[in-house]
Amino acid sequence: MILRTENLTKSFKGRKAVQDLSIEIPDGSVFGFLGPNGSGKSTTIRMMTALIKPEVGDVFINEISIRKQGHRALKQVGSFIERADFYKHLSARTNLEMLARMDGASPRKVSEVLKRVGLGQRAEDRIKHYSQGMKQRLGIAQALLTDPKLLILDEPTNGLDPQGMKEVRDLIKNLQQEGVTIFLSSHLLDEVEKICTHVALLNEGKLITTGNIEDFLNTAIGTTEIRALPLDKVKKLLKGLAWIQNCEVRENSLWVAVSSTRIPDILKILIQNNITVEAVIPRTTLESVFLSKIGTGREI
Amino acid sequence: MGGLIYNELLKITGRWRSYIGFIGIGILMPLILWGFSWGGNEIHETYARQLSDTFIIVGSVFNSLLATYIILNSLWIHIPFLVTLAAGDAVAAEGSGGTFRLILVRRISRFKILMAKLLATWIYTAALILFLALMSLGLGSLWLGTGDLIVFDKGILILDKNEAWLRMGLSFGLAILVMFTVAALCFMFSTMVDNGIGPIIGSMFLIVIGYIIISIPLDLFKRLEPFIFVSYFNVWRLVFQEPIPWGQIGQSLGILFIYTSVFIGISIFVFLRKDIKT
Repeated sequence: MILRTENLTKSFKGRKAVQDLSIEIPDGSVFGFLGPNGSGKSTTIRMMTALIKPEVGDVFINEISIRKQGHRALKQVGSFIERADFYKHLSARTNLEMLARMDGASPRKVSEVLKRVGLGQRAEDRIKHYSQGMKQRLGIAQALLTDPKLLILDEPTNGLDPQGMKEVRDLIKNLQQEGVTIFLSSHLLDEVEKICTHVALLNEGKLITTGNIEDFLNTAIGTTEIRALPLDKVKKLLKGLAWIQNCEVRENSLWVAVSSTRIPDILKILIQNNITVEAVIPRTTLESVFLSKIGTGREI
Repeated sequence: MGGLIYNELLKITGRWRSYIGFIGIGILMPLILWGFSWGGNEIHETYARQLSDTFIIVGSVFNSLLATYIILNSLWIHIPFLVTLAAGDAVAAEGSGGTFRLILVRRISRFKILMAKLLATWIYTAALILFLALMSLGLGSLWLGTGDLIVFDKGILILDKNEAWLRMGLSFGLAILVMFTVAALCFMFSTMVDNGIGPIIGSMFLIVIGYIIISIPLDLFKRLEPFIFVSYFNVWRLVFQEPIPWGQIGQSLGILFIYTSVFIGISIFVFLRKDIKT
């Protein structure tokens, strides 16, 4: 494990922001960190990067304690947290050169990372002339200065247009192929589903679930669309089953809340009852699972 | 460490607020020197009247050295404000700008970052005082000429030109050390908040309160005076006594050193425990 948290707990003014959080980030994974607003994601990330001190528990990066040896533990970590804030009166290159001096990175590395995020041509512009999207790219660039083994990204696609989002997604995939472990917090569940290998779900400061994304989607109660005739008979048949949680007719389909592992059982029942099955389409997305775990109506 | 200090100096020189002190001195000094060049005779006559019973005055007593001495006496309570303009932002500006998230997640310890900030603030402070010296003594010498220095402070002291320059140098050196204490005070407040104005107000409030207490001739306040760091700010003037009271200078500097150490100690304590929420 490149990073693990152990019983991480933090309160602000008596309110528990994070409670007893223990997660493990496997080497080489793209780890999605999900949760609604105020669930404690940012506080956790700040504890992981030594910006906030945990009350209880610790974070270990390559088994080095953040509490005891914060700056040593962060040697192989690049991070981009929340917003891309830089020294506005200085150019992008000067900003990165300052950070490179702190990291012990060479000026050549600065040009390299600027080029990698597509800012090579605008490197001499002052930050105050940068768009939000450009700042976000620069935020990612600064995290790459140290050739990190672990990259912690908190909402890296904020403010980016679809093309920019795709570029960041591709960059993350490339970095993973290069052996970099990515810890990604994002409220764009579609993004997370496309690139993450593992996820953890946080709500009200507590860990709801964590694991491999495929297992997560397969075992979770998701939505499946069934196109079969007669629809009323299908509904009647399925509604009585204990492992089907919800059953609802929408237009010409029946939508059921069921684990995708149960789809073969559904097909078997329908065929045994002489139902004409047109299609059974798993519609489980990370978003639907997320909402089922957290409860709908919450802002992600 | 050199790279970190260079980073901090880049930040200081990039903020417009850092130039207020230099612009203020740059405008004020020529104005004062111009005023002296017109009204210098008046000062010469005042001095000559007081000295004519004992001395024969040849030429003018008024020159850049006397002008600098007068300027320092009248400007001394304002200089701390100019120092706080940069010191107030040293740490707090990173909070308000959200840039702690950039610099505190790196492999450098918080202690080193804080020390680099403090040293850069002191370099700025020294530069400001040296600029004041350059403007008053340098520009003053070109404008008003130079010569012996006559000062009235616990008696009359007449210093020949070379000795006067030496003592001016000493006095500016001491002034820099005094301003290091002011910078450390403001720096301490800067570690506690996330905006640069609070530390400036906090520091000036303490300094002004200190000045008020030491200027009120009440027994109670007189007893408090040794404990108020502001009362040692005039240490630069001691070099214009004969003989130079080195013991008193050493004691004053020692007390200012203790205050500075306490301010820095509190800064370290606060900064190392600070949760970055911005």
